[in-house]
Amino acid sequence: MKTSTVKLTVCVAATLVALAGCYGPVFPTVYEPGEYKGASDPLLKTHATAESKQALQQRFTTSQTDR
Amino acid sequence: MARMKFLCDSERCIECNGCVTACKNEHEVPWGVNRRRVVTLDDGVPGERSISVACMHCTDAPCAAVCPVDCFYTTDDGIVLHDKDLCIGCGYCFYACPFGAPQYPQKEAFGVRGKMDKCTFCAGGPEGKDNSEEERHKYGRNRIAEGKLPLCAEMCSTKALLAGDGDMVADIYRERVLKRSGRPQTWGWDTAYQEKS
Repeated sequence: MKTSTVKLTVCVAATLVALAGCYGPVFPTVYEPGEYKGASDPLLKTHATAESKQALQQRFTTSQTDR
Repeated sequence: MARMKFLCDSERCIECNGCVTACKNEHEVPWGVNRRRVVTLDDGVPGERSISVACMHCTDAPCAAVCPVDCFYTTDDGIVLHDKDLCIGCGYCFYACPFGAPQYPQKEAFGVRGKMDKCTFCAGGPEGKDNSEEERHKYGRNRIAEGKLPLCAEMCSTKALLAGDGDMVADIYRERVLKRSGRPQTWGWDTAYQEKS
């Protein structure tokens, strides 16, 4: 094998190895604008119950109404 | 469906700053950050009025509309909360808010502000379990999860500041206005709770 052919092969191989790290995911995650993307708040579930709302109304009646 | 609202009765507010102190103490808010503050209009002039101002938890929250990372969410009864893990401290919400509610803990070179902080209606944030150490550290105490209402309103000695179901708040205020006569001044309600089509 000629020396130039070896050099070319080494160069191509090196280029392929160097570019191997340049891969990125083809399909990025796209969110709708205005859509909350953070962690879920456990309060949203617990606070949605009728008991929770009733407790807050009771609290309001006890602590904030005029006497 | 209950819709949580704040209302400050300016005829009753005596500018004692009890609400500000209660908030800072309850949530251990750092120096330089005021989730709530008392503003006096026409200070020193006869007829001056004081109002306690914080995040009003707007119906169509402008802060949420401009947030580039969408870190805001709203509970089903209208409490506007945000995620500090997503917040990049850009300050857009501060410019958008008509009440000056968003606060930033830092002021450093290159406009570094730190994560935005604001009134949570004492409802914490999206951090693990309710009233966990992490939630308390980032957002303050979660009184709503305990079945309690915001401390600023509960501590108000003259009951000028009301916080709770908007209908109940409005009923109390209406009765007051009828009793004392005069015009109702629901300061901030038009801006915060106006239904836009």
